[in-house]
Amino acid sequence: MFDNSSLGLYLIAGAVILFVLGQSLFFLIKAWKHGKEMGIDKKKLKNAVTSSALFTIPSALSVLATVIALAPALGLVIPWVRLSVIGNITYETVAATEAINAFGITTGITEAITDPEVYAGVAWVMTIGICFSLVVLPFVAKPLHKKFLEASKKAETEVAEEAPNEESAEAAPAKKKRSIAGFMDYVTPALFIGLIGAFVANSILGAGSQKNPAPLDGAGVLSVLTLGTAVIVSVVLELVSKKFKLTWLEPFVMPIGMIAGMVVAVVAYNVLPADIALLEWRG
Amino acid sequence: MSKKNKQPKTYFDKVHSWGRISTISALCVLLMFPMAICLYLGVFPEAEYVFKGLLKVIPLYWTVAVVEVIFYTPMLGAGGTYLSFVTGNIVNLKLPCAISAMQNAKVKATSEEGDVISTIAIATSAIVTTAVLAVGVIAFAPFLDTFTNSPLLMPAFKQVIPALFGALGAGYFVAHWKLSFAPILFMLLILVFVPTIGASTLIFPGIIASVLFAFIMYKVGFLDKKEKKAKK
Repeated sequence: MFDNSSLGLYLIAGAVILFVLGQSLFFLIKAWKHGKEMGIDKKKLKNAVTSSALFTIPSALSVLATVIALAPALGLVIPWVRLSVIGNITYETVAATEAINAFGITTGITEAITDPEVYAGVAWVMTIGICFSLVVLPFVAKPLHKKFLEASKKAETEVAEEAPNEESAEAAPAKKKRSIAGFMDYVTPALFIGLIGAFVANSILGAGSQKNPAPLDGAGVLSVLTLGTAVIVSVVLELVSKKFKLTWLEPFVMPIGMIAGMVVAVVAYNVLPADIALLEWRG
Repeated sequence: MSKKNKQPKTYFDKVHSWGRISTISALCVLLMFPMAICLYLGVFPEAEYVFKGLLKVIPLYWTVAVVEVIFYTPMLGAGGTYLSFVTGNIVNLKLPCAISAMQNAKVKATSEEGDVISTIAIATSAIVTTAVLAVGVIAFAPFLDTFTNSPLLMPAFKQVIPALFGALGAGYFVAHWKLSFAPILFMLLILVFVPTIGASTLIFPGIIASVLFAFIMYKVGFLDKKEKKAKK
């Protein structure tokens, strides 16, 4: 038996976390300075920080819940590092289970790992399994980003040439030339919609986990109530902030919508009869 | 012989240089973590078991890693991409923060301004997440289980995803309703037949369908006028 929460292990984890924190601070300072150089309104920059911080807290707590879910088997150190660097909620639980299974242990993440060799092995599997994006990124990110920017710039130029003023473009839409470059303006919104839509659709009709079934992990009364509340509260607040020109409210709209959805989930779970609150139509 | 004039580095060039250096450094630091554990505990696991474990996770996760880099880079911007891939939790944290911040600031994701806002949002999100995890792990470890699993609060943590994407989607779907309805219907249809697909897999056919539908609508002129004004 070894101590999976010894000071030494915490110090190793702390060093990794400090590196990540340093990188984030570096990019934050550089982007902030460049934003000021570009003449971006300081209020816009501050709003980006405020809304992101508020938007992050509830999700960060659910990431913390994953760290805790992995703690019975691995202690807190490995899950802490894995979910602070590259990790994500869905990957880490699966990777930990597979890694533990590879050592012939069938209890998965429910029982404490007592063999230090298995513990170290799990750390290797989880780390190597997730690190590939960092191998690809230095080669791919720049050319990919450059291509995308060039296409967008080309689109802007072509759109400007096609429609020197909006009136004439609207007056003769049939004659408008619809080039591939012009389409680039719609690519980013379409990408975002594909991403957000997948989670929205899954909250309406998706089934829960078949491998490790747990209550409330599939679409049902609670997920739809939460989703609906978050949508309605966000839309209403957005309209209110626009109508009454409450610019201070704008960065809080989405965080408030999110928290309202979670509050309704708690209320509905504790108030509705159990067979309704726990109903998941796709299992 | 013509001599090439050396052009001054743009903001994006600098970001890519910092990004590449920090990504490679992060990779080294990350790989040193299991190595440090081995040295500290004085053990080295048998390679056979490690390979056995890796064989289970590599085929899927390395493929996903490549796909994610290709799909998410245009959405995250230059600085945001490097930061997000190092700090992780892209879909459930970094991208929503970036999208929300750019929407609030009314900037395009492909503009330099958008890149700055996205980087600030993602860096803030990474710092807050790291702080929440550090405080949670160090200070509240003994009580955390009771806190997140209490019957009173458990449903809130189970419904983080619908709450997050509901709040994020609301503004976006309203602003881009023409672009939104077809891909969402398509994804609901997929779920009718394959309910167990899971959101993280559904993203990829969803994104492809969304871009494809947008292209068709653009070509037939359905996106003219109002949608054009709403686009970011």
